[in-house]
Amino acid sequence: MHDRPAMPGARISLAVAALVALTACGSGNQSATPRTYTGTLTFVSFNPFTGPDASFGTEMAAGCIPAAHLINQAGGVLGHQVQCTTVDTRGDPADAVPAAQKMIATTENLVGLNGPSSDEALATVPIINRAQIPMFGDTGQAAFDKSKYDYFWRLTPPDDAAGIAMAIYAYRKGYRRGAAVFGNDLSSQGNVPNLLAAFSKLGGQIVLNQSIALDKGSYRSEVQTLIAANPDVIFTEASPQTNAAYLSQLQQLHGMIPVIGTQPTVQPPWIKAVGGAIGKATLAANYAAAQPFAPSQGPSWDVYNKALLASGTEVPQPDQWSQDPYTETDYDAIVMMALAMLMANTPDPAFYNKFIAKVVADTPGAVEVHSYQEGKDALAAGKTIHYVGAGGPISMDAYHNSSGAFELVGYATNGNLPQLDVVSAADIAKYKT
Amino acid sequence: MSQLIPAIGFGIITASILAIAAVGFTLQFSVTNILNLAYGDIMTACAFAAYIANQAGVNIWICLVIASLFGAVFSLLLNRLVYFQFVRRGTKLFGMIIVTIAMSLIIQNVLLAIFRPTFFSYHASQGPSYNFGSMVFTASQLAIIGIAALAMLGVHLLSTRTKLGKAMRATATNPGLARSCGVATDRVIDAAWLVSGALCGIAGVAVVLNTATFSEGTGATFLVPIIAAAVLGGIGQPYGAMLGAITIGLASEIAASVINPSYKDVVAFGILILVLLVRPQGILSEVAAAKEVAA
Repeated sequence: MHDRPAMPGARISLAVAALVALTACGSGNQSATPRTYTGTLTFVSFNPFTGPDASFGTEMAAGCIPAAHLINQAGGVLGHQVQCTTVDTRGDPADAVPAAQKMIATTENLVGLNGPSSDEALATVPIINRAQIPMFGDTGQAAFDKSKYDYFWRLTPPDDAAGIAMAIYAYRKGYRRGAAVFGNDLSSQGNVPNLLAAFSKLGGQIVLNQSIALDKGSYRSEVQTLIAANPDVIFTEASPQTNAAYLSQLQQLHGMIPVIGTQPTVQPPWIKAVGGAIGKATLAANYAAAQPFAPSQGPSWDVYNKALLASGTEVPQPDQWSQDPYTETDYDAIVMMALAMLMANTPDPAFYNKFIAKVVADTPGAVEVHSYQEGKDALAAGKTIHYVGAGGPISMDAYHNSSGAFELVGYATNGNLPQLDVVSAADIAKYKT
Repeated sequence: MSQLIPAIGFGIITASILAIAAVGFTLQFSVTNILNLAYGDIMTACAFAAYIANQAGVNIWICLVIASLFGAVFSLLLNRLVYFQFVRRGTKLFGMIIVTIAMSLIIQNVLLAIFRPTFFSYHASQGPSYNFGSMVFTASQLAIIGIAALAMLGVHLLSTRTKLGKAMRATATNPGLARSCGVATDRVIDAAWLVSGALCGIAGVAVVLNTATFSEGTGATFLVPIIAAAVLGGIGQPYGAMLGAITIGLASEIAASVINPSYKDVVAFGILILVLLVRPQGILSEVAAAKEVAA
């Protein structure tokens, strides 16, 4: 066996310097020229597809698929076809972090993300940002209201705004004694601080703020505490099984109390679980929920909805997502990223990211476009574009957030979600702490 | 204080469901020495069997019997077709735990593939409510408590008054000695899986009657308190499991009524840890001590 000769000091310094330089390159600094891509470009829906928030992922993928179809029908992006894939975060940072790392390391031609959700955003946004992948979060966490992450974008209002909308609606309906019953998960708890503050500021009284463990067999003691507090309205968000058990046990011990939920309670699994547990008629008589207001009409929505309904087996029961603001904005996110690539003349995320805001900027002389095809044609004609989304007009602030109004929807036993009220962005701003 | 008495009533309901499940779990373990972590998923499978019958218009209490029979047959087949193949090849306790975790995932995913990721409810009325002091029970909850009491009595009579019960106890204590004394331990093991599966089926339906809705993952979420009740009582000890279920059930409900309900499991499991610090083999310890697996 031969001994390795000692390395002279200068060589060591040189080697260290080279290593540092290589590490710096690998850590995500932008190179001078865009990367060259071959083959299909990939958008990932990075969300929970299993676990208590499994419905988030399905809702998100339902937006990506019609957008990808329309982009491909329009000839793709710079000669590339696009595809949607999914990465399951299980709604748990412990699973989401390795999933993000694996996704970044192994996904070929990864050019953009839908997600993450509130369950895993705090843990994974820094990782994805460092990898310079644009992400359109469906997280509602207030921590991203003034995001410093260059690659983080959000088209839906934050959870704390939803809490304010719920408080305003409850007050308008004449409720004065509110009970906040939220799951003890990160996603649900994000609604609580502004809800409590806004309801008190409006003149209401929060008689109980209850944080409940998820998916337990019995909530009777919690319900007994709720009954003792004598609320006239319950504000809530928890997993479908949790809310179903809680509300059915409330029904047994006291009878229903009106419920105002958040957007996750509008989703089909929640409606099915709670409607099955307390009865559809009882749910219809006692339920309202705040969700970001998307008008679900107009030329952009028409394009989206037609593509969604034509998605075939890729999106089971596509009509359930026709009026879903999260699915609509997930669709918009894919279209925006694709148009930004055209503007940047490269699918390289490090280059096209800064064009995302320009896609939706309502600058003088810009041509209003309602689809990828219209945007592509306008850009090819040398025009500046202003994309109006399926979820409504988009206006990005300095922190990559585009928030808007909320609508309150009810539930009808035929499965429809009739609009009950609209709370404007201006009203929400008045009560934001 | 006004919340405490109702909480005890709620604790009795929770304890009843836990007791049915925990006794089934621990009875099978005591005889076979297999810590079956697929137990919660078998509960879910049984709940789905009852759901199919219920959707066909069958009364929920008959569905409960169907779930019980389904659970018995399912458990027996699971052992014969899967677990026993590993036992025969000499797989030890830890290896068997991994096998049961694998079966748990397989059962859960098969249910997911068949029933899709959504929620299901039975067509079943809770019936009228009855007040006992400040405790409130619905008719269906009283039925569950009654079924639990009957199941516990049945297990007691089985183990103390029948040849099969004595053979089970003998097999649980020392299978080699039992075999050399003429006990047909293979048949005893089959019987243990049948009884355990039947209790598992009853528990599956009782859980759904309690939660009002379920999905493919519901049973798995109840596995931890079931194991906790079994371990607290002294794993392998049916009477211990009953005692453990009562302790966990009451502790979690009382905790939810007097502190932040987010931490109700923390209190229940805190008690578990404290008890095991004092009595590492659990409250009733003879079988657990013999098997050296408790805690």
